[in-house]
Amino acid sequence: MFSFGLGLRTQHYHDFLNTQQPVDWLEILSDNYMIDGGKPLMMLDKIRELYPMVMHGVSLSIGSVNGIDKSYLKKLKALEQRVQPMWVSDHLCWSGVHGRNMHDLLPLPFTHEALKVVTRNIHQAQDALQRPLVLENVSSYLEFESSEMYEWEFLSALCRSTGCKLLLDINNIYVSAFNHGFSACDYMQGLPAESIAQFHLAGHQNNGDHMIDTHDHPVCDGVWELYRKAVKHFGFVPTMIERDDNIPPLEDLLSELNIARNIASEEINQRVPS
Amino acid sequence: MKLEELQNQFQNQLLAQNCQDAGWVADSSKGLSSEFRLSIYHNAYRVRLAETLLDTFEHTANYITVELFETLAYAYIEKHPSTDTNLGMYGQHFPDYLKQELPSCQEVFEIGMMDWLLRRAFDGPDSLPLTKHKLESIVASGTDISLLKLVPTVYLYTQQWNSLDIWHAVNQDIATPKAITLPEPMTVMIWRKETSPHFRSLSYIETKAVELLQSGQSIESLCEILSEQFPDLDIATEFGQLLAHWLDDQILSSNID
Repeated sequence: MFSFGLGLRTQHYHDFLNTQQPVDWLEILSDNYMIDGGKPLMMLDKIRELYPMVMHGVSLSIGSVNGIDKSYLKKLKALEQRVQPMWVSDHLCWSGVHGRNMHDLLPLPFTHEALKVVTRNIHQAQDALQRPLVLENVSSYLEFESSEMYEWEFLSALCRSTGCKLLLDINNIYVSAFNHGFSACDYMQGLPAESIAQFHLAGHQNNGDHMIDTHDHPVCDGVWELYRKAVKHFGFVPTMIERDDNIPPLEDLLSELNIARNIASEEINQRVPS
Repeated sequence: MKLEELQNQFQNQLLAQNCQDAGWVADSSKGLSSEFRLSIYHNAYRVRLAETLLDTFEHTANYITVELFETLAYAYIEKHPSTDTNLGMYGQHFPDYLKQELPSCQEVFEIGMMDWLLRRAFDGPDSLPLTKHKLESIVASGTDISLLKLVPTVYLYTQQWNSLDIWHAVNQDIATPKAITLPEPMTVMIWRKETSPHFRSLSYIETKAVELLQSGQSIESLCEILSEQFPDLDIATEFGQLLAHWLDDQILSSNID
């Protein structure tokens, strides 16, 4: 499916409501709408009438050894029923244990024990949501002594054990590959192509000896180049620009999305024999 | 190391005042210390919570200066780990913390409470308000109304200081009045009308009436109690005026018994 989306941000509510914008779908940050009521949900309902949506969360904490917060899952399910999204995603990470919340996408050790924990938690989430969960790879700034496999091997094993899908954040691969010294191409080639449900493209901050996934810059050339390789390898996957800070006018993001469209078209055309 | 122990140690590093090297972190291909790499998460946690507090308590920050606010916010974060998955709920006890840390500036606590309750009203539960038209049609149908309910975003709190005036001045970005204690405590009501949070001060009788509605008293019981507490007033007239005001403000729920 050839489709391109953008993350819905409050700054662009009226742009999306007043004019039908050239996007195929919008990605909402689930957590922003897991609230009791008021303007955010009212705007969400209005915009949902005009655009297909996908849901993307940050607090499911699928890697927490304590399991998933049942009240969070209940709220997520309620929002899923309200929005009727094409898919529901969160991150391969953990956010806290023992009632604490670090509000961050903390990395996991890639161990067989962690694989069992995450598998258990994914089954719990999928049972509640009654649909496959889509998991995103996170940018990370450290790795663990205890890891027993590569991240892509861990993700592949999760797909096999749970049937979950993957949201491949091209920028996060780029950032983590830089920070940890692995090959971004090895990463992508190690993943099951049939499990890739979505691509994220975003910007980051390069601090010389490490990169931080800030989502406050335009997509850089290196990430565009990696996106090209991703399309070449996986074929076309629904793609979106993710900007969370330093939000520019909608036209700027639409222009960035057009770059993605052009790259995807070029690569797809090269794949199809004339 | 088992996952449980690793997650405990990782979280403890983030919650501790300072990061330290950790043996469970693999060597970096870039030669960066584990302390440095943990500090990326350590700093991000604090910055994220401080930004949330600044966003929620914007008027409070502008009143006491953003510099002082951030000092207090970062100190608060060290003592109050976040426990809610909803980042927006962080800061529930921040006004109390301000009261404790700024004992000679109690108006700051009250401005903080305003900021907090306005935010709660903003995304609190939806409820269709009772309209004058609907009330008239119910009465015309002969249905007996025994109980009026408030919409769920109504909050009351009492101010001892001229915090309302200060909040208004901060909101309009004009010089704030000097903080003074009020001749007598004043109740402020905060609620959401349509999609916007509203607030206003209440008279003594209206305070009592709204408190009685909040506690689930029937209209009959409410009027009896008001008659006892305000023997010099014509409660039927007073209640009629309050009712008209409440309908305009949309603080009554259309879900009536």
